[in-house]
Amino acid sequence: MASFLAAHGYDPGPTQRPLLTGAISGVLATVPAILVLHLFGSLEVEARILGTSIGATLAAGWLLMAVAGAVYARLFGRAANNRSGGWLFGAAFGFAVWAAGAVLVLPLVSGGRAPAGEAALGVFVSLVLWGAALGILVPFIHRPLHASLEEVSKRADVGPTAAAANGRRT
Amino acid sequence: MIRVVALRKAAVAGVAGAAAWEAVLRSLILAGVPTFDIVKSLGTLVFPQGPASAWWPTGMAAHVLVGICWAVFYAYFFWSRFDWRPPLQGLVFAALPAVLALAIVSPQLGLMQLDADEVQLTRDLIMPPLSALEIGGLVLGHAIFGLVVGAIYVRPVGYRNEPVGKRLAKVRERPRKAANGRPQGAGFIFAAGIECSYPTIEQGKWRRDEMDEMRHYQWWQRDFELAREIGITHLRCGPPLHLVLGGPGRFQWDLVDEPMAELEQFGPEPIVDLCHFGVPEWLGDFQNPEIAKALGEYAGAFAERYPWVRFYTPINEMYVTARMSTLDGLWNEQRKDESAFVTAALNLVAANVAMTEAILAKRPDAVFIQSESSEFYQACCPEPSIEERAAFENERRFLPLDLLFGHEVGDEMLGYLQQHGREAEYRRYLSREVPKRTVLGVDYYQWNEKLVDRDGQPRNLGELFGWSVIAGQYWRRYRRPMMHTETNFGNAAEAARWLWRQWHNVQLLRTEGVPLIGFTWYSLTDQTDWEIGLRRPDGTVDPVGLFDLNRDPRPVALSYKHLIDLHRDQPEYRECPALKELLN
Repeated sequence: MASFLAAHGYDPGPTQRPLLTGAISGVLATVPAILVLHLFGSLEVEARILGTSIGATLAAGWLLMAVAGAVYARLFGRAANNRSGGWLFGAAFGFAVWAAGAVLVLPLVSGGRAPAGEAALGVFVSLVLWGAALGILVPFIHRPLHASLEEVSKRADVGPTAAAANGRRT
Repeated sequence: MIRVVALRKAAVAGVAGAAAWEAVLRSLILAGVPTFDIVKSLGTLVFPQGPASAWWPTGMAAHVLVGICWAVFYAYFFWSRFDWRPPLQGLVFAALPAVLALAIVSPQLGLMQLDADEVQLTRDLIMPPLSALEIGGLVLGHAIFGLVVGAIYVRPVGYRNEPVGKRLAKVRERPRKAANGRPQGAGFIFAAGIECSYPTIEQGKWRRDEMDEMRHYQWWQRDFELAREIGITHLRCGPPLHLVLGGPGRFQWDLVDEPMAELEQFGPEPIVDLCHFGVPEWLGDFQNPEIAKALGEYAGAFAERYPWVRFYTPINEMYVTARMSTLDGLWNEQRKDESAFVTAALNLVAANVAMTEAILAKRPDAVFIQSESSEFYQACCPEPSIEERAAFENERRFLPLDLLFGHEVGDEMLGYLQQHGREAEYRRYLSREVPKRTVLGVDYYQWNEKLVDRDGQPRNLGELFGWSVIAGQYWRRYRRPMMHTETNFGNAAEAARWLWRQWHNVQLLRTEGVPLIGFTWYSLTDQTDWEIGLRRPDGTVDPVGLFDLNRDPRPVALSYKHLIDLHRDQPEYRECPALKELLN
């Protein structure tokens, strides 16, 4: 089962650049998420709870989302390139980020203060939307970033010595 | 991709699951049971003070949307994980959303319904107390949802075996990359394959179609490009016989014309596989003696329409086709009976011969690569009954090829044919003249060598003697030019190692003087459900391809490209003496 999951999921393909792809996708996916936060008035509430300006909250959010995007693409590896299922994997990841970040971490760092009402709804919707957008974007961002087959196939570890990959020199 | 998911079916299951939940829980609520009202909780987020006519459709829409998401999640990650009845699988899966609903979503919904934009969290806000009836309602709702999703989401791959043609997707014209043209020379064949099995299961009611499941019908142009990028010279591939051959003399060539035109113009050169484990619905199964005539006509018509095609595999793996259909009871006729095996084997050989003759009538210089699975049975112990069983199976594995190549069978196999009243047919094949340009294709996988255990049952041995030893047995029997026509490895992390080891097996036989013309990694992309021999339409993806189903390369693709780049310009590979002799 471990090798099966690795083959389909968390082992990225040999030509993939998951961290870069995830970071770029994470940043881009933040755009619609910010719109939702703004519409629900959540951005102002979060800035107030964190005791920072809206600009600083946005900057920190963008940075965090870039990191979270990179984590997503590395964690889901090969599966993150699935065009038909990416939206779902991303939305599930967005839900997890919401559950971990907004529900658990934010109240901890803010002394128990948390968004409520529409602002809380906005945080939820924005993170699930961010995740879905991230999942949709990754396969498309990833393709032009792939290393070329020509270049990677010259690596020694895929060459003839792979036949004795588990062997020692005698 | 872990599984091939039927998104539409999963969405329908999600909608139905959410609707069933609401129907039961709404009835309870209307009957006065004070339980958790998920639709109202969601709807009043948008219409806090609104009437039911406002919050119910809104809440229901959100409820259905979440239901669809969970159903698709189930389809990807949980479906067919356990060998349970489908509704039970759904019920067990529903425990996950139920726990999340109780622990996270329900308290958060409470927070979202507050008339404030910020709160100081308290214990009651983080984990508001729910009554037993509210908890019971949430659990019951999820249980209903899981049961319904589980019951509806079944058979995500394949389709009803009906006499209707499916159309290949029209692929948008793309600029071709790495077009290397169709090689006409006699260079060593570095091949891959498009896995194109299409047997029926469920007593002929359900059609497996690997090309459909791998999305080859949508992605064929991309698949051919990928093959060219790797440097593959030849591609084992076949039109979907069950869709093209609509009836006697009725051919739906528009399914095939565009992909064939692309292969003709840009390569790789196809080795056309005309029958791969199944026949069209109107022909029934391999017990039907009419398949020889029908497939002969089909092959002749194919050769006439695509006269540039040089390489053919008329019927892929006749022994495996007959065995899986009549002894293992998994495909097509799904019998478990020796007489049916003999009938299927004879019908397959008759069809193969008819196809070969029909092709030769249109293309006299056609090359026939007769692929067969290399099998070997090792007796576990010096027990006469066990040794006899192994010896019998080691003779039976040759039966279809013996008939095709007009080779005499052993005494035991002769007795077997006599026992089933088929000796006369066997005798007729003995005088058959085998076409000059016939190649023996020998496939090899890690399950091809078997141990006959103390109960007389075969068990997988893994690679005991290896391809060169087993293929060597076939070589000594038939003395035909040979090709390694299929291999792959189930553990993607070990596949590159397996590729190189198979390659060294090929090299060993070449140095021993066996005229070998080619090597094949099968297949270009991952496949589905081969781990269970296609017996159920689960859609579980086997990571055996050079590329996964997203068309991202696996490490073995890099190794194969490395291997091809390393060898193709070496003198003995740039022009393969065995192939040159065959073509001359």
